[in-house]
Amino acid sequence: MPVEKKDFIYIHDKHGIEYPILIPYDDPIDELAHIILIKNNLPIYKEKELKLHLEEFIQARTTEYYEELSSALVSNAKENKLNLEEIIEDWEKLMGEEVVEFGEKRCASDEELFATAYHKLVHSPALETILQFEHMLSKTIRLKTDEKNNIMKSLSERQNEEMNNAVDRLEQDMTELKINELVAKHYETHSLLQGKLNSEIDTMKEAQRRQYREWIMQMLEENQANSSLPTPSSPNPAPLKEFVSQDSTSSRGHIDTPLLEESFTIHLGSQLKQMHNIRILSANVMELCSVEDNQEMSEPTPQLLQTALGLYSNDLTGLVLMTDNKIGSRLTQEFQEICQRTTEFHFPHIEEQLDKISDIAHQYFRNPHSDTTRNSNSELLQPGDFYITKHSNLEQVHVIFHMVTDDSLRGSNINSRHPVVLGLRHILKIACSNEVTSLTIPLLLQYDMTEEMTMSWCEKRAELVFKCVKGFMIEMASWGGSELKNLQFMLPQGISNTVFTSMTEMLPRIFKMSNPKVLK
Amino acid sequence: MIVEMSLQLLKHPQMQFGATTFFAKQHKGDTCGSNGLPLTPNSIIIVGRAQILKTFNCKYLCQYLDVIRGKHERTIVVSQYCGEPLVSCIEKRPFDWQEVRQIAFQCIGGLQVLHKKKIIHRTLSNENILLQANNEIKLFNYGLYHMSDAGSLVSFPILHVLYTAPEVFLNGLSNSIADPKCDIWSLGICLAELILNKLLWSSLKLGQRIRKVLSMLQASTSILEKIAREHNCLERYLSIPDDLKDLIEACLNVHPNKRPTCEELLIKPCFDSLKPKDMAEKNEDIYRPFQIFTLHEFYHWWQLAGGDVPQELKKQGLIRSTPPILSIPSLVLIEGTILGQDRNPATLYDPRIVKMPLDTLYQRFAHIPFQVFYPLIHSQSDIIEKSNPPPYDATGLPLIIKERDPEYQLHRVILLRRLLHGYPFTSDLIVDEAKKDIPPLLRGEIWAALLSVRSNYATEYMRIDKYTHTSTDRQIEVDIPRCHQYNELLSSSEGHKKLKRILKAWVYKNSQYVYWQGLDSLTAPFLFLNFNDEAKAFACLSNFVPKFLYNFFLKDNSAVIEEYLCKFSQLIAFHDPQLANHLRDINFYPQLFAIPWFLTLFSHVFPLYKILHLWDKLLLCDSSFPIHIGLSILTQLRDRLLTSGFNECILLFSDLPEVDIEKCVALSSCTYENTPKSITSREHENEVYHKKSNLDITGVSLNELKNELCPRISVRDVANILLKNPHKMLLIDIRNTRAYKRCSVVNSTHIPFSSVSFTENIIENVGRDSDLLKSKGEKIVVVVGDEETDLETFPKFLLQCNISKVCVLHGGFNKFLELPASLSIPCASVGDPSERQRN
Repeated sequence: MPVEKKDFIYIHDKHGIEYPILIPYDDPIDELAHIILIKNNLPIYKEKELKLHLEEFIQARTTEYYEELSSALVSNAKENKLNLEEIIEDWEKLMGEEVVEFGEKRCASDEELFATAYHKLVHSPALETILQFEHMLSKTIRLKTDEKNNIMKSLSERQNEEMNNAVDRLEQDMTELKINELVAKHYETHSLLQGKLNSEIDTMKEAQRRQYREWIMQMLEENQANSSLPTPSSPNPAPLKEFVSQDSTSSRGHIDTPLLEESFTIHLGSQLKQMHNIRILSANVMELCSVEDNQEMSEPTPQLLQTALGLYSNDLTGLVLMTDNKIGSRLTQEFQEICQRTTEFHFPHIEEQLDKISDIAHQYFRNPHSDTTRNSNSELLQPGDFYITKHSNLEQVHVIFHMVTDDSLRGSNINSRHPVVLGLRHILKIACSNEVTSLTIPLLLQYDMTEEMTMSWCEKRAELVFKCVKGFMIEMASWGGSELKNLQFMLPQGISNTVFTSMTEMLPRIFKMSNPKVLK
Repeated sequence: MIVEMSLQLLKHPQMQFGATTFFAKQHKGDTCGSNGLPLTPNSIIIVGRAQILKTFNCKYLCQYLDVIRGKHERTIVVSQYCGEPLVSCIEKRPFDWQEVRQIAFQCIGGLQVLHKKKIIHRTLSNENILLQANNEIKLFNYGLYHMSDAGSLVSFPILHVLYTAPEVFLNGLSNSIADPKCDIWSLGICLAELILNKLLWSSLKLGQRIRKVLSMLQASTSILEKIAREHNCLERYLSIPDDLKDLIEACLNVHPNKRPTCEELLIKPCFDSLKPKDMAEKNEDIYRPFQIFTLHEFYHWWQLAGGDVPQELKKQGLIRSTPPILSIPSLVLIEGTILGQDRNPATLYDPRIVKMPLDTLYQRFAHIPFQVFYPLIHSQSDIIEKSNPPPYDATGLPLIIKERDPEYQLHRVILLRRLLHGYPFTSDLIVDEAKKDIPPLLRGEIWAALLSVRSNYATEYMRIDKYTHTSTDRQIEVDIPRCHQYNELLSSSEGHKKLKRILKAWVYKNSQYVYWQGLDSLTAPFLFLNFNDEAKAFACLSNFVPKFLYNFFLKDNSAVIEEYLCKFSQLIAFHDPQLANHLRDINFYPQLFAIPWFLTLFSHVFPLYKILHLWDKLLLCDSSFPIHIGLSILTQLRDRLLTSGFNECILLFSDLPEVDIEKCVALSSCTYENTPKSITSREHENEVYHKKSNLDITGVSLNELKNELCPRISVRDVANILLKNPHKMLLIDIRNTRAYKRCSVVNSTHIPFSSVSFTENIIENVGRDSDLLKSKGEKIVVVVGDEETDLETFPKFLLQCNISKVCVLHGGFNKFLELPASLSIPCASVGDPSERQRN
């Protein structure tokens, strides 16, 4: 920070001028001379004389000013009154933190190397092979998971039966004690089996992950060795067919609901117009995450391809999910399960990411910060906070923003100062500074249908979100980051057609539609 | 041979540049400025502050060329970079005493220029002193401390450890004193290195280096001697001549106030031999020789030829990008605290310099003949003319392409800068060239020339009081942060400051007018083009307003605006009766949408890059051109307007849709040229630009005007067209038969007013001459009457029949009789009109 300025009074005896001047003086002295000339009704021929005099005055005061600032310092230092060691340490630290030359020498991390390798390969003819391989590996896990579920299910059934029998015989040879024992035993076997199966799956995932990463690096080497791109071979393509045939048994019912969606191109800005795509759709939000595993699919879906191409690019896709104040709470269970359905090859597994976030939060809350109004004892998050997880195995998204909400969202009286709306602004800001260029937001700030969602409630809520998001997007333009190219507003699945239409009619009233180009 | 010469020109050793990059400090959290608006990003402030550096043109300083803002606060500085840093010469070869004297002299010369402009180098070091092939030096990177506002806009410290004066370290990290004396110390260390021919303390670590610098404070003897001893070159020290020893000792005084200033250093005896002796050398400082082309132009061409600084930095590893998903934070709290995001090592300050490769430009320009750099302007000789290379042909290419064609821009810039050099004597030539197109690099100067800005503009501006508080200040301060803020220059704090000063100066100078919202937008293009020359921007504005917006800023401007809008309606009716009829039917009057258009000459509705192209043309026309622009916008939206009702129209214009500006310019110039001047003439025009006689339209009151749907035409225009292009005009005489028989214009059509039935809007009602009107094509229809005829109903009827280009002769038939001999048109008095028809 520049040091404060000082007031001086300029006095010119001959003409009786008194004028306050701040030293150091930054504005042109010519102009100052003229102002003084005008204020004191002096003739114009005095201009030169006055200017010279002023210049001298300002020069002298400025020298004086700096002298005052530094001479004390220098003489103190000379007399050893200053703690030089401390000063040296401060400077050393700052330089170390800010200047490459003195900073820690650091090589690219494994993460970065792998990212570069993957990004390169995925943008080469190897793409197809990679996706095939991923697809195959994920099928294995999915099958294993289904198997686990089946085993667990049959165990439960068996136990249920046993229990029913036992209860039936309660009057006869069974005592309550024995039943309790049975329950305990059941519980034990259940959790034992579950643990065993889970750990099997985890081991399998771990193995897959290692195998996959080695394979990628190896392929990159091959790729670099012979500049003509080889058709990479996946290590064990044989099992693939086997799986395909098996798959038909475990078909997953997919209900085809008519999709409600509408797209708009809007522009923001009064003179320079910035275009954005906006889409309103009504669907189950988890459809953006979960990968279709249709039995006939031996090929990965095209969305996955898109997601893979964008993973390490500067065009990330984000999704806002709603959760409560506990990190990794039950509300995120469904989402977590979707994440676990296949191996995460690039980032830590979801539990690991959530654990790490908890650690960070706890560590932060333990040290009370002066500028927060938080209850320092509480380690829970507050509405409007959000945590971020990153994923490579979801269908259409890379980054998830888990927004903390509470029951106040159900009310009809929230306004633009509601914490969740503020949180939304922060999300846009993080998106903007981290290259998330496509984002999905719940238009009603909720993904599930609830009974208070009347027509007027929905309209009010949607208007609030539209207007606030518009404001944030206008703000974003000045933040100097990446711009949001695609914005998706999501409505709960099964919302009525009338509500949907009312939303799509509202949007053009709030955002300026961009003109269609008409070819003539 | 000749071609090689031009390449030699381009390959001048000082025509080279490099780039450095750094990150500006991010604003913490969500703070707002005192005006409640979001804070300006620091990188924008830096861009604004750095502009002034581009104007420095001293032979001892590297020129600044550009500051580019990247994503996420990245800032790239492009500057001249040529020669070799002294640091790579030291220990390679010894410098003799005279060389050291000369380097010292030139460094001080450079520093003196900077200090006079209140710029502190702060990082002066032997790495930043570049030795040129001609043995002169240039200082490099002297602007970083200034553009970062004494380092407060960046997070890294701006200093070069070894060369930094001890008081800078003592001052601590947080406050930085902009005392020029720290540069003198740095100079002392640079010279010490040179003279001892040793890189000082090169093996020490960071902490030890700082300690060394601070240990100087305790030195009881000469600091230079102490340094010499520590580096085992006492012998060399002892052999140094006294004058040099004295110079360096003086610089290395630990008390900043006892260190001499640049001026004091320059009068030291050791420089006696270096001061300019002959007049020629002295004159060089007064008259700067005309440069064939400047480094700025060279850089401009390089960019056009495909040079891309950020790309080059990426290629050479100075901009490293890590995948963003790896560095995304993990937790964000409602207060805005971001957790779990590590500092990206790629954002640390790396002072490396990347030289820009120039080969593509050389190749692109390799075939350009030498003569191109010396265009002949006043040649009258065909022989010389023929020996010239054929002009570069870019005619017919769209403007956007022309502006991006390096070769075309080379020709244009070379030519126009020569012409500008001769301004004001070359004004006419500049206007002629500007009609072709205006090279973007010189647009500011060319505009000033087109607006006839006088050479004393700077003094005039300087004499205006821009400081004293006035009642409009508040409004100005509200408007400025909303004026073209997408533009980096205009949204920077420097830009805000300058805009405010210009507006205050305008208010001060034009006490007959009031400050009107929109004046800020009007000023924006001028400020943008003359960012480093506020006075010129002000002078342009001052000449622009009386020419194009005369009396628009009167306290009560309703009469002026009303008349203008009436003329706008009439022009629409003149060129596009169908649209005019539709707009009138739905009551969509220009008052509802066009006032901000004309009041700010479209600078409020278009982004800057469009305004520039629009005004390029406007400046060559008169104050009626804006009406034509308005018409051309309506024409572009014609289809939508014709199918829309009142509400849709209002909605459409509440936020003007995208308008193709090139089309807009072409359309408006077309109508401008094909419309007789008197059609758009107004009572409230500035008389300086529109002299009027009895042959022009005068004395039409606003109420009369409001009732007239079709414009009037002056007798002068009618006579001119009749004499030169009689086929372009259809004179319709609606006087009664008696008057017509007595005297009429030859070949005029007679449709007596009384013979037409106005009950329906059917053109056939005019009788046998209706076919003439229907098939008239682009002909102008002039309705001629006299005092006795109704001159509103008939033109209105024609308009409603969708007949275009209908106008009414001002003053009636008798005006023909006032025509001077040079403009007299054939009139005849014929007994039998039917007989004359046959002729």
